This record gives sequence, structure tokens and C-alpha cells, in this order.
Amino acid sequence: MSKLLLNISDLNIENATIAFVGMAIVFVALIVLYLFLKAIPKIIEWQIKARVEDKEMLKGQTVEELQLPSGVDAAISAALYLYFNEIHDEENAIMTIKKVSKTYSPWSSKIYSMRKPLR
Amino acid sequence: MPAKANSKYMRKFLTVISILALLFLIQNVIFQNDKLNAGQQQTNQISKENPVKDNGIIDGIQTFLNYTGFANATKGHFIMILVGLFFIFLAIKFDYEPLLLVPIGAGILLGNIPFMEGANLQIGLYENGSTLNFLYAGVVRGIYPSLIFLGIGAMTDFSTLISNPKLLLLGAAAQLGIFITFFGALALGFHPAEAGAIGIIGGADGPTAIFVASKLANGVSVLSDGTVTRNLIGPIAIAAYAYMALVPIIQPPIMYLLTSKKERQIRMKPPRAVTRLEKIIFPIIGLLLTCFISPSALPLLGMLFFGNLLKESGVTRRLAETARTTLIDIVTIVLGLTIGASTQADVFLTYQSILIFVLGAISFIIATAGGVAFAKLMNVFLKGDRKINPLIGAAGVSAVPDSARVAHMIGLRADPKNHLLMHAMAPNVAGIIGSAVAAGILISYLL
Repeated sequence: MSKLLLNISDLNIENATIAFVGMAIVFVALIVLYLFLKAIPKIIEWQIKARVEDKEMLKGQTVEELQLPSGVDAAISAALYLYFNEIHDEENAIMTIKKVSKTYSPWSSKIYSMRKPLR
Repeated sequence: MPAKANSKYMRKFLTVISILALLFLIQNVIFQNDKLNAGQQQTNQISKENPVKDNGIIDGIQTFLNYTGFANATKGHFIMILVGLFFIFLAIKFDYEPLLLVPIGAGILLGNIPFMEGANLQIGLYENGSTLNFLYAGVVRGIYPSLIFLGIGAMTDFSTLISNPKLLLLGAAAQLGIFITFFGALALGFHPAEAGAIGIIGGADGPTAIFVASKLANGVSVLSDGTVTRNLIGPIAIAAYAYMALVPIIQPPIMYLLTSKKERQIRMKPPRAVTRLEKIIFPIIGLLLTCFISPSALPLLGMLFFGNLLKESGVTRRLAETARTTLIDIVTIVLGLTIGASTQADVFLTYQSILIFVLGAISFIIATAGGVAFAKLMNVFLKGDRKINPLIGAAGVSAVPDSARVAHMIGLRADPKNHLLMHAMAPNVAGIIGSAVAAGILISYLL
């Protein structure tokens, strides 16, 4: 149990600096990324507004207002999915046996698994 | 339903008890380790002094027996084989991270088959020229973690993060565990470089932990102060992956402890739709910004954002598909296997390994607490529907997607109609970026 004694001498200023500066840099890196991500919609908003001719109609609207809400997006996607993938009316109901072609191999040949007739 | 809940708690209880029992066993063996090692060396010397003489069939059989695993087995080998079997059991029976625990468990079995060391058989992972040693080079040189990050980038959807970028801060706050554990490891007598590698377990990111350990505690590299650190890659990787698998057990008590029921019921505003342009710009800006701030994390962050660019660009569908399926699968197999095999009894069953496991658990707990506490702090400044459910702060530890899933489940218990998964994915992926930045900082300071 003596091995568990804490060695406080290693907790010097240099190591404390590494920890504090390290944590600070992680925050700085992600805060900078946050600021950029926050700015991107504004840039796109400006770009969209510049493109659209009827500026009066879009005056004062943000990107969020210009775009469809995510719920509407999801509803449209679901409707399209149901339309394209669950159309049963045109289904061909005839079931046929498909012929599966197999390449010949002596390991799986049926002839070797059958007994030869006595002569 | 109550019977199902009971069996779930019983399963958690059994898992924790089994881990404690294994740790206890390991500790018992360690105190005899020196004795065992001495005995092993003596055996090797004897076998070298008495080379095989051509004295007939008896000598031949004797030589053969000396080379078998039975003749060279130690208690440590059997304990490690039990650990490997336990990992495989956890993966198959309880479905705990099976894609990781099965290869790691099998690797532990491979790495702990006893053989005559010193006979230049080129079998062991640490013997130059062996097949396992060749595969292990990918770990020591940090190749596999980078490739894993490429795959993660190609499969991750950052849109929830882009739509609510303030959640990035939760990914930063949850890195608190790394730096506090760094202090803890220093206090327990580890070299600063080793302490940094141990602390990164709190990043809850297996590839990052392996990458940092392979740089700072690989037992080979000479540091700037002239010291050669011990090889701690095996214990650190195993601790990181084991705790990642145990996220559903470790995190909930801390989340309950730090939040009130009212806080757990907070409903968050649905994220806005993100444009394709934003999705394409994000990996490019992310790559440039984070790598300029922490260039040492380049192999991780560079690959992560590159993978994401492949996914979001829309013109490299085939490459993205390969990166997120075939490539990451291949690397996971080799990485898991070699990490498992690196836990050879004589390297792994040491007093340091126990300390690493204890520190790793503390690191995880502090990281979770850091994320939750920071979310609560953010709520002080946020109003109305902009408030954050503090449970998603726990997802800032990365451990994708398990920690997000845990936040979602705990949220559902407080309010069955409150689905937090989508929101929790934002700090979750921010945690990957945060832990990679922290890894870069530790490497640049300590290498």
C-alpha cells in the first residue's frame, strides 16, 4: 500500500501550466470553430438575398425563415418515400421459379453424392 | 417489465463485480511477478546452456515439451486468457461494443499463448520480425488511429452540430477529465509524458488514446529530456475501450447526481435544416482552424475532416463508402487484434496497469461531470427555448454514439416524449474534435 502515496513534488508549475493552457486551447479551438459556424448562415443568407431578384419580398427574413422547417422537410421526404416505395398497385403478382445457374465443381456435383447403381 | 429491468440491473451488477474480481486477481499476481520473472529467466538460461543433444527420441520429446505452451505458462498467462475470454463473453452475451471487444478479446488470447521467449522464434508481438510485430507497427506509428478517424469522418453527420454550434462548447468542457487525470497520474508518480497518455483515456476515444499513447508512452521513443517512457499502450487502450463499452454503466449515476428531474425534462428546439453548402464548408474550415491551432493533432483531425469532406462533397461517394465500411472494418480488426495481443502478461500485469484502470475510471467520471456541469452553466445565460438539456453535456465525452444514446435514454425516463438523441449527437461529435485537439496539445507539450 505504500506505493499509493502521492508524489506531490511532480505537481509543479510547469505541469500545471500544461494542464491549464491545454484546457484553454481546447476551448479556444472550439470557440473559434463555433464563431465560424455561427457566421456561415449569415454569409449564406446574404448570398441568397443577393441572388434573389425580388428583394422586397425577402426583406428582414433570416436563413431559418427562408428555409423550410425540418418538420416540413421530414413530412415531404416521408410522403415521397411512401409514394415511390410503397406503390402496390402496379406490382406484378406472378411468382415464378428462377433458374439459378451454377458453375460446375466436382466438390458440389450432385453426381458424386449419389450412389452408383449396381451392375 | 420489472423482471426485465431487474435482469438489466443484475447484468450491470455482474459486470462491475467481475471487473473488480479481475482487478483483484491481477493485483495478487503482480506481487509475485518479480519472482515469476526471475524463474522464467532462470529457465531460459538453463535451456540455452543445454542445447539440444542428439540423444534419441527422449531428448527430442523433451525439447518439444519445452517449447509447448504448457511448459512456459505462468499464472499471468492464465489470468490474461481469462480476461480475454471475459471480453469475448461481454461482447457476445451482453452486446457491449462487440465490434471492438471480440477482436481485442481474441487478441488477448493470441498475445498470451505462452512460448519459449528468447529462443528467437519470432512469434511474440514484441519480437522483431514476427507477424504480430509487423501488424503492431501500425499502432506504434499511429497509422491505425488515423485510418479509423478517416472512417469516422466519412460516417459522421455533423449537421446537428452545424445547426446548433454552441453545443461545441460541451465537447470542450468534457475534456476536463483529461487534464485533471493528468494531474492525478503525476501525483501517483508517472512521468509527465505517461501522465498525458493516461489522461487522454478521459477523452473516451479509443483511437485518440492509442495515438497519444503510441507517441508518449511506447517504451521506445526517447523524449526531449532523454528519458524513455514505459510501454503503456496496451493498458491505456484496453482501459479506454473497456470504459467506452461501460459508458451505459458509468455515466447514468453521475448524470442523475448532477441534474434535477426538471432539468432532465428540458425540451430543446428542433435543429434547423442545414444546407449542403454548410456541410461542405464545415470540414474544410474545421480542418484549417483546428490544425492551425493544434498541428500535432493533424493525423487525427486531418483524416477526420478529410473523411467528412469525402462524405459531404457528394462527388466522391465511392471513396466515402469505402472509408466508412470496408476500410474502417479492416483497420478495426487489425487494431483490435494487435491491441489485445499487446497485453502480454509480463507487460500488462503490472502495478501501473491497475493505477491506469483506476485513473481511467476517474477520468471518465470527471469528463462526464464536466460536460453536464458546463451545460448547466450555459443554461444560466440562455433563455426560453434556447436552453440546453444538461443530459446532453455527458455526450461531450465522445464515445460515439453510446454516450449520446445514454443521454437519450435518461431523458426518455424523465419525459417519455422528449427525444434527445439528435441533440446529443452534436456534443458527441464535438467531443471527438475536442479530444483530438487535446491530444495534439499533450503531444506537442510532452514529446
